[in-house]
Amino acid sequence: MKLFAKEKLTPEQEQLARISLFSLLSPVEIGIVDGMLHRRDYQAGEIVFDEGEEGQAIYFILAGEVVLGHQGQGEVGRIVTIGPGDFFGDMALLDNLPRAAQARASQPARLLAFFREDYLGLMDTHARIASKIALQLARAMAKRLRQLQVDGH
Amino acid sequence: MVPAAPSIRERQAGPLVWAAIIAATCLLLAALQKLLWLTVPFLLALVLYYLLQPAVLALVYRGMRRERAAGIVMVGFLGGLLLASLLLLPQFGARLIDWQATLLRYLEGGYGLLERSLHALEANWSVFAKARLAETAATRLADLSGSLTSHLEPFVLGAAAWAPALLLTPFLAFFFLRDGRIFLKFLVHAVPNAFFERTLELLAEIDRTARAYFQGLLLLTLLDTLTLGCGLWLLGFPGALFLGLICAVLAWLPYVGSILGGLLVVLVAATDFPQSPEMAWWAIALFVVARMLDDFVYMPMTIGKSLRMHPLLTVVMIFIGGAVAGVTGLMLVLPVLGVVMVIGQTLGQLLTDPRLMARHRQARRLRRRRAESDLVA
Repeated sequence: MKLFAKEKLTPEQEQLARISLFSLLSPVEIGIVDGMLHRRDYQAGEIVFDEGEEGQAIYFILAGEVVLGHQGQGEVGRIVTIGPGDFFGDMALLDNLPRAAQARASQPARLLAFFREDYLGLMDTHARIASKIALQLARAMAKRLRQLQVDGH
Repeated sequence: MVPAAPSIRERQAGPLVWAAIIAATCLLLAALQKLLWLTVPFLLALVLYYLLQPAVLALVYRGMRRERAAGIVMVGFLGGLLLASLLLLPQFGARLIDWQATLLRYLEGGYGLLERSLHALEANWSVFAKARLAETAATRLADLSGSLTSHLEPFVLGAAAWAPALLLTPFLAFFFLRDGRIFLKFLVHAVPNAFFERTLELLAEIDRTARAYFQGLLLLTLLDTLTLGCGLWLLGFPGALFLGLICAVLAWLPYVGSILGGLLVVLVAATDFPQSPEMAWWAIALFVVARMLDDFVYMPMTIGKSLRMHPLLTVVMIFIGGAVAGVTGLMLVLPVLGVVMVIGQTLGQLLTDPRLMARHRQARRLRRRRAESDLVA
């Protein structure tokens, strides 16, 4: 019997490994992170979080679509629509600041939530996993910044 | 941009919520006292869980499955405990057999010290001599000692009767270590989406409070044991470290425990050093120093402000806890109040937040509409 056997991923964990934020993690590390994630189902039109709310978690979309937009402004305030494999609410991992936009499911959606306290706990207990996630988060933000610069020109 | 809602720590509860928190704490204490056989192993299992959790996490990170890591750590702990018991049992076994005779010998020693001290007071102060202080105390103590053994024996027998329930402790701790996260996810899964993030925040706060309290309590016990053990050893007390450990564990009872620990050491001093009454005074001085170290150095370093309670509320709740559930209440009142306080404050916030309630109602409407969508009238 191997005490430290190689972890075999379940189909849901394989889906998790394809999310960019977790793409650097090994199967064992995916298993550890998976134990910390919460699966949530939302109806079309249901609010995930409001603008101005204190952010406590980052969300990953497993199925369905989510619209990010400014609260109370309807279609005019829509910022972006995102789908499976995307994540949102990522600033919540970094600070306690209010949510910058409202998130609402535009189709029935299955989301994975990663609570900030769990991420901070990872920094203490599993620093390597936390740093891999932080690196991918920084890359995602750099990509967004570059996109903003391109859009600005 | 809309300003952020205050975090759980910053939220202020109103008087109604506070009344509910205190009432719920009292009810819980009364219930826990009735279930003492389960409460004690449960609490010890929580202490064990927070003690062993870092080892389990270290093994999990190295690639071991959580179930296996929890099993190995628990077996390792129980093996170490068994080994320590086998090494120490011969030393204490003989003393345990004649515990009643030993107890009475120490009580008589304490009585002798009190009598000598009161006679010395009477010899030096005429006020005490006129009041016949020594005689009055002797009569009262004679009445008390007659009933002491009759009160003590049922208590010891009662404690021995539910002691087997302590065997539950490692089982509970093992399942906390193995399935704690599954249980947490199961609990969170039942929470409606609108309250999901706040509930996560609440559970994290409870976990933080409990972890800080129990880990701090263990560290405090170690520091107290070392301080008292070293002090008593320097004074020449027999079994100084063991005595220090008993006093440190007694200090788990807020305020009352320290006094009981001090009394215990004075009894030992009076019995083992009958010719040196100054030894009892040295022991009292040591306890005062240890108490001050506890309050000003050790407590802020360990338990600290983990429970974040007002000192007045703490003292009042200790008295209420004692009145509602006796010794159990004294021991449990602070951690129970800490947990109830976080739950009460958060529930108060959730149920009075019109936006969250509106979102919850909307989600229910959407679910119902979807469930009814293909039904024909």
